[in-house]
Amino acid sequence: MKMKKVIALALTGVMAMSMAACGGSGSTAKSESASSASSAASASTSKDAAKDDSKDSGDKLVIWTLTKDLQSFADRYKEKTGKECEVVIVEPGDYPTKIQAAFQSGEAEPDIIVGEPKMLDTYYEAGMLADLDQFGAQDYADKIVDYVWKKGQDADGVQRAISYQITPAGIYYRRDIAKEVFGTDDPEEIGKLYADYDTVLDTAQKLKDKGYRIFASDGEMKVFSDSKEAWVKDGVLQVGQSRMDYMDLCVKLYQGNFTAFADQWTAPWYTAMAGEIPVYEAGTDLWNDDERAKAEKNATETTQVFSYGLPSWGVLTMRDNYKETEGKWGVCKGPSSAFDGGTYIGISENSNRKEAAWDFIKFCTLTEDTMEWWLDVSKGDAVSYIPTLEKHKDDENATYGNEKLYAFWQEQAQNIDLSLVTPYDQAIGDAWANAITSIKTEQSSKEDAISAFYDEIESTYPELTVNR
Amino acid sequence: MASKGQSTVTKPKRRKNVNNAGYFFILPFMIVFVIFSVYPVLRTLYLSFMNYKGFGEPTPIGFANYARVFQDKFFWRALWNTVKIWGVNIVVQLGLAFLLTMVFSDMKYKIKGLGVFRALYYLPNLIAATSVAFLFKTLLDWQYGSFNQILMSSGIIEKGAQIKWLLDPNIAPYVVAIISAWMWFGNSFIVLMAGVQGINTDYFEAASIDGAGRWKTFAKITIPLLKPILIYVSITSLIGGLQMFDIPYLINGKYAAGNPGGSLQTVVMYLYKFGFATGSTKQVGYASAIAYSLFLIILVISIMQFKFASRKDD
Repeated sequence: MKMKKVIALALTGVMAMSMAACGGSGSTAKSESASSASSAASASTSKDAAKDDSKDSGDKLVIWTLTKDLQSFADRYKEKTGKECEVVIVEPGDYPTKIQAAFQSGEAEPDIIVGEPKMLDTYYEAGMLADLDQFGAQDYADKIVDYVWKKGQDADGVQRAISYQITPAGIYYRRDIAKEVFGTDDPEEIGKLYADYDTVLDTAQKLKDKGYRIFASDGEMKVFSDSKEAWVKDGVLQVGQSRMDYMDLCVKLYQGNFTAFADQWTAPWYTAMAGEIPVYEAGTDLWNDDERAKAEKNATETTQVFSYGLPSWGVLTMRDNYKETEGKWGVCKGPSSAFDGGTYIGISENSNRKEAAWDFIKFCTLTEDTMEWWLDVSKGDAVSYIPTLEKHKDDENATYGNEKLYAFWQEQAQNIDLSLVTPYDQAIGDAWANAITSIKTEQSSKEDAISAFYDEIESTYPELTVNR
Repeated sequence: MASKGQSTVTKPKRRKNVNNAGYFFILPFMIVFVIFSVYPVLRTLYLSFMNYKGFGEPTPIGFANYARVFQDKFFWRALWNTVKIWGVNIVVQLGLAFLLTMVFSDMKYKIKGLGVFRALYYLPNLIAATSVAFLFKTLLDWQYGSFNQILMSSGIIEKGAQIKWLLDPNIAPYVVAIISAWMWFGNSFIVLMAGVQGINTDYFEAASIDGAGRWKTFAKITIPLLKPILIYVSITSLIGGLQMFDIPYLINGKYAAGNPGGSLQTVVMYLYKFGFATGSTKQVGYASAIAYSLFLIILVISIMQFKFASRKDD
C-alpha cells in the first residue's frame, strides 16, 4: 500500500514538474514569436533574439519597433555609448495587439514602444506611455518642430513621446524620364504636372504615349487625399469631394492602363524604383511569388515607372531600392501639401529601465550628432530637430539631382495638420480601398460600392454618425 | 471478533484514499483546463456585457452588445455565408463518404485493401489548413492556375473568359465549401465505415436471402442502424463548420473582410475583425457578444438536430 502511495506521489511530482516546464516554455514561445515577427530585422538581430530566448535580457533595453530605423539607431547607440539594445521589428498589423497584450500582462518589457500618429491617442488613453516631463523633456521643447512636439503630448499636455522626423510628402520622380518626355527636370515645372487630378491624368497619358507609366500602382495619390480632410470629425464620418475625386482618379488610372499594376509595397513596386519592370496583367496576385513569376514570363510589355507619391521617409525606401537609378531622382510638390506617418518613440509605463530608456530617446531625437549622422545614412530623411534642420536648409542633395531637399520638406511641413489623424483611419481607409477595388474591377457600381462602404462603417462603428 | 469488526470499518476508508490519489492525477489537467479553457470562457461571457477596447477598465453596458448583434446585418450576412459554405460542404462531404461506404461495405464487391484506402482518403485532413489554402489559391488562380489552364487547353473556356474561382462572390463560397469537403470526407468515411462494420452481418445476409437489392439494403438496414453515428457526424461537423475560419481567412483574409464582396466573411472572421483586426479601435466587448451569440446559435441548432434525428426512432 505504502509503495502505491509513493509511486502515486512520485508520478504527481513528475506531472507537476512537466507543468512547470510547460509554463517555462510559454515564455520561450513568446519570445520566439516576437523574433519571428521581426522577419525584416537583420540576421544578426534575429540571432541575438534567439540567444536571449532562455534568459532575461539583462541590462539591455528592449525595443519593439515598426521599422528598421530604430535598428540603425540602436547600432549607432552601441557604437557611441557601448550600451546594447535588443530590437524587435514587429509587423505593423500585429503591433497594436502585441504591445497591448504585453502592457496588460504587466510585463516590464519592452522598455521602448513606438507609434505612428494614428496610434498615439490610444496609447495615451490606455496609459501605456511614461511621463517624459519627469526627465526634463520640456527643456527641449524649442528644439523640436512644434507639431511633432505637440503630437507627443497627451490630452493634459504631458509629454509622452518624441519623434526624430517630420513627414511631409511629395512626388518622387525620375529626372531622366522627365527630360525626355517633358523637356525639363525642374521640380517647379514637374510639380505643375501634378497640380490636380485631371492634370495627373493628362501627365499619365503623355508618359504612356512614350512607353512609360506615371505610377507603379493606382494608390500613389492616397497620401495627398488623406491630408485634405479627416475621416471622422466630431463623431461624424466625412466623405467629401476630395475622397470622391481620389476614388475617380484610382478607377481611371486602373481602367486606362496608366499604371504597371504593381500594388504598393509588393515586390515589383519596389523593383520599379531601380528601372524596368514588366507591365503586369490587371488583377495579378503579386503577393504570391508563383503567380508573379508566371506573370513576368507571360508579360508582353516592359516599362519604367516615372513617379511615386511618398512622404519624406520615402528617401529610406528609395535608398534601399533605387540601385542603378541613384542620382536620377527628384522630388516635387503634389496636388496639395500632405504628410503621412512618422515614428514616435516613448517609454512603456511598465518599464524598469526608464532612465536608460530616456537616455536612448534623447540620443535618437535630441542629439545633434545623431541627427547629422542620420541625415547622412538616410540620404536625406527630414529630421524634427530644429538646429539640424536650420543648419542644412540650403544643402543640396546629390542623390536627388542637387535639389535643396531640406528646404523643400520644411516648406511642405508648414501645412501639416495632425488633427486630421484619427484612430479610425486604418479601418475606414481599408474599407474605402475595398470600395475602390470593387469599382475599378467592375465587381459593383459606384453607387453600390459607396453604399456598401457606408453600411460597413455604420455597423463597425455605431458611435459614428453617417450622413449618406 | 473486535479486530474483525475494526477491519470492516477501515475497508471503505481505504477505498476513499484511493479515490483521493485519483484527484491528484487529474489535477495537472484540471489546472491547465481551468486556466486556458474555463477562465477564458467565463471572461468572454463577462466581457460580452461590457464596453471594452482591449485596454483600460471595461464599462458595463448590459445587453447592448447582444442587441447590436441582433440588429447587425453584417453579422447575419456572415452567418448566412457560414451556413451556405457549411451546407454545401456537408452535402458533398457526407455524399462522398456514403458512396465510399456503400462501395467498401458491399458484400459482393469485396474490395481489398480497405486500410490503404482509408489512409489515402484521410490524408487531406492531415495537411495543415495553411498549406491547403495556399495549394488551392495556386491551383485556382484565375490567370495562371492549373484548373483554368486545363479548361482552356481543352477548349471548354476561352482565354479572356477564365473563371474567377476565388474572386467572384457567386462562386468563391462554393469553392471553399468543396475544399472543406475534400479535407473532411475521409474523416466522415472512417467514422461511417466503423459504424457499418459494427452492424451484425446477419442482417445483411438475411436481407440478401429475402431478395433485398443493394439500394434497399442500404436504405432499410444500413442507414437506420447508422443513425447514432450520423447524428454524431452531423453535430460535430456543424459545430466545426459554424466556427469556420482558417480556409476562408487564408484564401483572402486581408482586413478580415472576407473578399470577394464579403462573401467569404464567416462569423468567426467577423468576430476576429472586432477583436483583433481593427487596430486601435478594437471592440473586444462586441467581439465577445458575437462569440456567445454564435455559441447560442450552435446550441439551438444542435438540440434541434438531435431532437429531429431521435424523433423518427419512435
